[in-house]
Amino acid sequence: MSALGAACGKAAKASFVSYVIPEEIKAEKDFGKQDKTPTLLPGEVVFCGASKVLRYRQDDVSQRGLFGTLVCTNFRLAFVSDQDPSEELVNLFRNKMYGEDDIPLACVDNIYGVYEDKRKLLTGGMVKNKIPSKLVIHCKDLRVFQFTLTYCLGEEAKRIFQGITHHCLEPKSLRNLFAFSFCELNSFPEMKRQQKTLMFEVLDDWAQDLNRLRGACRLVDENAEFGLSPNLPQFFIVPSNVSEADLTPFQGHGLPMWCWSHPSGCALFKTSALPAAVLQEDPVAQAYMEKMLTAVAHNYLFSVKTEDLSDTLPSVSEVQLAYNKFKLFFLIENTTDFWVSDVKWLSSLDGCGWLDIVRQCLQKAMEVVECLEKENANVLIMEEGGSDLCCVISSLAQLMLDPFYRTLTGFQSLVQKEWVAGGHRFTERLNQLHLKDKEEVSPVFLLFLEGVMVLLSQYGPSFQFTETYLTVLSDSLHLPVFSTFLFNSQHHRHIYTQAESPHSPGSVGRCPVVWDWSVQFDCKAQELFINPLYTEKSRTPRASQRSQLHKHQRHLSLPGSGFKLSPKRGFFKDEADSLKKILRVKRLSRWMLSPEPGSSSSRDFYQAWQGRPLDYHGLLLPCVDGPWLRLWMQRYLRWVQEVQIFGGGLVTVLSRVYGLLEEVNALRRELDHRGGAGRSTARPQRPRAPGGEAPGPQVRLSSSFPFSGLRSSSSYKPSIPDSLLHGLGGGGGLGEGGEELDDAGSVV
Amino acid sequence: MLTGSKTTFKVRQMVPDMKERMLSPSGLNARSRDMFGLRCLPGECVLQRAVLVRKKLTAREGGGWLAGTLFCTHFRVSFVPQDSPKPDDNADPVLLGEHDVALASIEKVVAVGPSRTKLVTPNSSLKFTPEELVLYCRDLRVICFLFDRLTPDTQAVEITYTIAKTYQPLKPGCVLAFQNAALGSVEMKQFLSNRRRDGQMNWFESEDEWERELERCGAKGWRVSTVNDRFEMSTSLPRYNVVPQRVLDTELKRTFAHFNEGRIPRWSWRHPRGSDLLRMSSFQNNIYHEKDDTRNLELVLFGSQWSLCVVVDLGEEMPSPADLQLAHSRLRALCLGDISNSVTVPDDKWLSTLESTHWLDYTRCCLRKAGEVACLLRGGHMTVALQESEDRDMGCLVSSLVQVMCDPHCRTQEGFQGLVQKEWVMSGHRFYSRLNYHRDNDKEEAPVFLLFLDCVWQLWSQFPSRFQLTDHFLLALYDSTHLPLFSSFLANCHRERCKRTQHLTQTYTPVNGWRDVLPRGGLSLSSPTDSVDPPLPSVWDWALQYGGRRLSRFTQPVPPTPPTPPPPVVLNGNLNTNPDIRRMSDTVQGSVFLLSRGSFSSPTNLLPWRGGGGGGGGGGGGVAAAVYKRSHRRAPSSESLSGLERLLKATALTDAPQGLTSTSTSTTGPQGSPLDHYEPLLPLLLGPCMRVWKECYLRGVLHAQAFSHPVSSNHAHPVVRLALEVQQLHEQLALASASSSNSSSTASTINKPPPPRHRRPDANLNQNTNNGTFLFPAPRAQARPVPPAPTSSSSSSNPKTSRVNSSASSSSSSASSSSSSSAAHKDHPSAGGSAKHTFLFGPPASSAQDPRAEPRYYPNAKLPHGDRPTIGS
Repeated sequence: MSALGAACGKAAKASFVSYVIPEEIKAEKDFGKQDKTPTLLPGEVVFCGASKVLRYRQDDVSQRGLFGTLVCTNFRLAFVSDQDPSEELVNLFRNKMYGEDDIPLACVDNIYGVYEDKRKLLTGGMVKNKIPSKLVIHCKDLRVFQFTLTYCLGEEAKRIFQGITHHCLEPKSLRNLFAFSFCELNSFPEMKRQQKTLMFEVLDDWAQDLNRLRGACRLVDENAEFGLSPNLPQFFIVPSNVSEADLTPFQGHGLPMWCWSHPSGCALFKTSALPAAVLQEDPVAQAYMEKMLTAVAHNYLFSVKTEDLSDTLPSVSEVQLAYNKFKLFFLIENTTDFWVSDVKWLSSLDGCGWLDIVRQCLQKAMEVVECLEKENANVLIMEEGGSDLCCVISSLAQLMLDPFYRTLTGFQSLVQKEWVAGGHRFTERLNQLHLKDKEEVSPVFLLFLEGVMVLLSQYGPSFQFTETYLTVLSDSLHLPVFSTFLFNSQHHRHIYTQAESPHSPGSVGRCPVVWDWSVQFDCKAQELFINPLYTEKSRTPRASQRSQLHKHQRHLSLPGSGFKLSPKRGFFKDEADSLKKILRVKRLSRWMLSPEPGSSSSRDFYQAWQGRPLDYHGLLLPCVDGPWLRLWMQRYLRWVQEVQIFGGGLVTVLSRVYGLLEEVNALRRELDHRGGAGRSTARPQRPRAPGGEAPGPQVRLSSSFPFSGLRSSSSYKPSIPDSLLHGLGGGGGLGEGGEELDDAGSVV
Repeated sequence: MLTGSKTTFKVRQMVPDMKERMLSPSGLNARSRDMFGLRCLPGECVLQRAVLVRKKLTAREGGGWLAGTLFCTHFRVSFVPQDSPKPDDNADPVLLGEHDVALASIEKVVAVGPSRTKLVTPNSSLKFTPEELVLYCRDLRVICFLFDRLTPDTQAVEITYTIAKTYQPLKPGCVLAFQNAALGSVEMKQFLSNRRRDGQMNWFESEDEWERELERCGAKGWRVSTVNDRFEMSTSLPRYNVVPQRVLDTELKRTFAHFNEGRIPRWSWRHPRGSDLLRMSSFQNNIYHEKDDTRNLELVLFGSQWSLCVVVDLGEEMPSPADLQLAHSRLRALCLGDISNSVTVPDDKWLSTLESTHWLDYTRCCLRKAGEVACLLRGGHMTVALQESEDRDMGCLVSSLVQVMCDPHCRTQEGFQGLVQKEWVMSGHRFYSRLNYHRDNDKEEAPVFLLFLDCVWQLWSQFPSRFQLTDHFLLALYDSTHLPLFSSFLANCHRERCKRTQHLTQTYTPVNGWRDVLPRGGLSLSSPTDSVDPPLPSVWDWALQYGGRRLSRFTQPVPPTPPTPPPPVVLNGNLNTNPDIRRMSDTVQGSVFLLSRGSFSSPTNLLPWRGGGGGGGGGGGGVAAAVYKRSHRRAPSSESLSGLERLLKATALTDAPQGLTSTSTSTTGPQGSPLDHYEPLLPLLLGPCMRVWKECYLRGVLHAQAFSHPVSSNHAHPVVRLALEVQQLHEQLALASASSSNSSSTASTINKPPPPRHRRPDANLNQNTNNGTFLFPAPRAQARPVPPAPTSSSSSSNPKTSRVNSSASSSSSSASSSSSSSAAHKDHPSAGGSAKHTFLFGPPASSAQDPRAEPRYYPNAKLPHGDRPTIGS
């Protein structure tokens, strides 16, 4: 134990003195016998390091800390404590890439320097001569680290401080990202098609998805070498009426891209809208747009509805603003802050508006679903770039509609299709390069994950993956190792992954994709991604399943609302005419035929859906009313010890389920053993409990289960001090029992 | 009212033919059912009906509309769906059907016409034909009926009038009309008076039952006093009170006057570590304290402990009933979206509005206080006395919450029912006034009991796996409080309740002057009808209200593993090595502290009979006070931080004090030490952890998105299905093992059922465990292949009891059918021995200890006085 009792800055306060146990002071003296270095990954290079760095716990009263060595590499900031490694906790859920005390450089969100009790945000480009007494690092996965450099040697301190600020804050080029050096030395076998995750990098994947959904659209491969436009994906699908000549005129703007086809034949498209100015003035553009709309409509003889998301949803920068406010509630530097925020907790959640944005997105996705499902209308969603909120809405809608995307591979395929191949500008939105102008930065993908989380929390059994999976995925965004989230578009990726790059051959092409979870976690940990309650749909052949689905949805429509548009050509013309009119007057309006969003009709739709028995493998609509949007507890609160429920929370229920599953399996085996195989085949197979054993019994679970954060050395002082209890004659009763818990808690 | 379990058993056998007698002659019933499809209760009559009505189903029920006929009887508004299955004639009467609502629980009647909406009062007149009828209920339900065009206008108008006229008692005391409507008929009375009482739970109505509780808790040094048998000492206290053994009744009598309403300190519960929980009202200050009195008072207050008493003040920080009522009405307005005041809260302001109701703050406050008390009790060997000025609201709430937190028994259905009996019904929570059935006493109305249920729900939602009961149970209990039919809630204290039953049996003549003592609005006001009062059933007679399907949801499909008793070995080891404490407790005998606002103090006037000087009772107190003051000065910084959370963390996380680390047995490293079942469940009270009890507060919301999709009943939740599957597999396995007779492989012994267990009714410890915590009526438990011996009663089917009777069984079979847990424990190297329990997950590790050597609680007899049992590992 080399925990130091009194903090440097606040040592003067008498109240802290009493917490130093003599042992600790003794232990402090024999620390730092040798510099400890973290185990480096292949390709990882140490830039600088400093020993005798004191790291604080988040608890601010005792200001206890740990001495250790802080090392800055090209991948991370690693803190290696001087504590005896034998006390290292057995963590079931260890990330292989970085430990709990490490911060991947890309994960650093903000760095604050504390200069004589004045706190200052450090930014890139600042002259950093003066070394702050304390560094506070906010991470993008919402951890908070506090380091003090005052005990370091002057030279070391300066070097590490400048190293940290340089590598975390200064802009860098993509080529310098760790992924490149990592992959150079590491060979990752071309993933075996990632357990059938469709990567949408080859034509086949697109064809497969199109076939699965029976979309009547045209697969475009003219852009395979990015001949048409670098903005367009390598392969994509357009309505079958779009001719080859139509592909190019506006660099892909206005070109409807197929997303998903409903069994009824209507489909969801997205497009990047032509700028309003162009659309108003340029008759060519208007004509083109009109043609495209007709093409979308002709895809099936139903109506088409367009929706400009920039009109109805908050802009990308508003999303960023709301998130910035929102995350501050969870970046807890000391417990007092948390208590302060706690007083107005609910209203401050309301105040920052993040949850409301999530709600709006879900609502919009539900509107899209309603159009597809109830009115069987083609839907075209558009937005300036066509790769931000379009992705959010279309993927959320598909998640609600299509049970395939609620499986693990399906979800990964969805992300590949809509986000990676769809050209979400990950480099910019995630600010992978620490560029200074942050206008482009926005947690759009996180917004999507939040939406998924709402669905997941309301309809748990219909998802094959768990909350933990989503949390880990959101963490992986900031790990500059995976090619998935590194690039702005497929073209962008292409440039870096092709052979002609200096890092040949195919340098980053060998980079693992994030779906290769074994890079980060071992098998046992990966089992936590699988929802034990998920049951696969009964294994009927695909064709019959299709028809079933079809039939099911056919009689969904409500009395009175099931009015189907007659596929009359004339009717259709009318609509096209009205389109023309609108186009001439102004830019496209919102839903052209549907009533105002959020009006009673969407309520009716929801209600009608609710009236039917819930099918975990059918359509899912989330509840988005005020009381129903809840915080993504695991992601946001896992590091906050104050809100960890020990021995409680959902995870205990889940582990009970694991236990049950296990029992089922054991009994099955037993029965098979006894009764022969004849009967056993008749029964549907249960998903096996991961690992054959529950993660539960050995560890005490807290509500933030796979993520730890509690260590034995962290300590809280009671408001009824121990000494007082001694005096009371109750004699340390409180403390005594605490000991066992102390140890137990640290396991988690 | 029935007392004594012997009669109960007799009655049980009588029930079938009672039923026949009751139902066969009721030709009226049969006729009315044929005509209307409504099955009336015996003696119930239909006042009005309307045909072709559609009921709007709430989102929870699946939404949509249901066509049928609407009835208004003088007890309820009933809706019979068109195609409802023919009611089973032989079934016991259920007071309220699925679509019924009792008139008494209606709060508001709103008629919606073609163009207008009108709140219909008994005196108002309708100027239009209502198209829709909306009933707002006090239990936060909203029921909406739609009249068809074909419904005769007169029917629509008439039924609206009828409901509006009858739902509200015109004058105080009319609530009895409802009771008579529901329960008043001869058949019903007979039926009710022959209802068997749940023998499993503790009703706390007789001396025996209190003794049973004392025994269950292992509380020594206490006795049941009958000094208040005729309610002469205190009208609001129950007949039997638990007081220290060393206080004689004659001495005890002198103490009543020193407490408000005579509510002297009474024992409620004992923590396994030997702390006692007491409740009392505030001191009467304007009374002269004679010297003898002083001694008695001290004796009563300190209970079985000599050393230390902490008085927990429930007055200051806790919300007053008026606060609660205000918060609740705000919450109601927020959740209900009332048509008549048409305030809708936009979604993005919902949370802020919720915050401004302060309801969650109050919940948090109660949980915090209870958590503090629980932590204190955990310290061991002190007396914690909850003090409230009247000791009839927050006292009930906090003491029962503490027990829910600390005692696993109270998290089972029986245990919880017993707890409510003990702390609320018997100890005189003013249900009658607080629930305000008459609506004549608005000042007194306050949802204290609801707050308690909410607190328990919060605990439940944070630790679902530690409860045997479910939120369905809590919700059902909540609903029942709005039904003025149950003896449990229809009186302000035990005396009122007794008075009623004794009237009924005509064996009791009231003592002169009693009538005057009764509070206003009490039952006596309806005196002319007293003699024909129907026997009020108890709320715990759930079968009166719900069918089996709903009842089965009261408990978890997969119940938590029952607690294993704390290992006595460790206990003794710790106790004996700690003489310091005893010495200290001798010296600081008789010190009293006040816990208020999360910190201790010892104000001079804490005990009015002690004149001045901190601890008062001798030098030891002074020493303690000095210690206190010194340490108090030393840690001022912690005061500024929120109190309980630190305290909670302290109990969970503090490093062991230096002196004790050596004595406690070695800790087990990263595998963690066993979970102690008597560790209090301390809820987290931070903003993100406090939740809204949506199933309760939001169920009335009619608009669609208030609820996520209900899981329909024929489509069970995966966990339930899983539990069922386990059950089926067990059955199959039983079959298989029966067919293959001599399968002596090792595999077969794993799943071998526990050997039959013979009840030993004389072994009290075992009986306790059977009746209480150890019996979880789980589907899984019932699914155990029943061993050939028929003597094995329900308890034998429970895997957990296999431990208890393991003396009879070999160790191989004692690894009962819990293959999962044994598998899990195999790679748990340090988990051997009895010290390891897994409470949360799976069946417990089996241990081969003799059952009688494992007391459920620490038997005090074995403990030297003044020692603290501690739970190590």
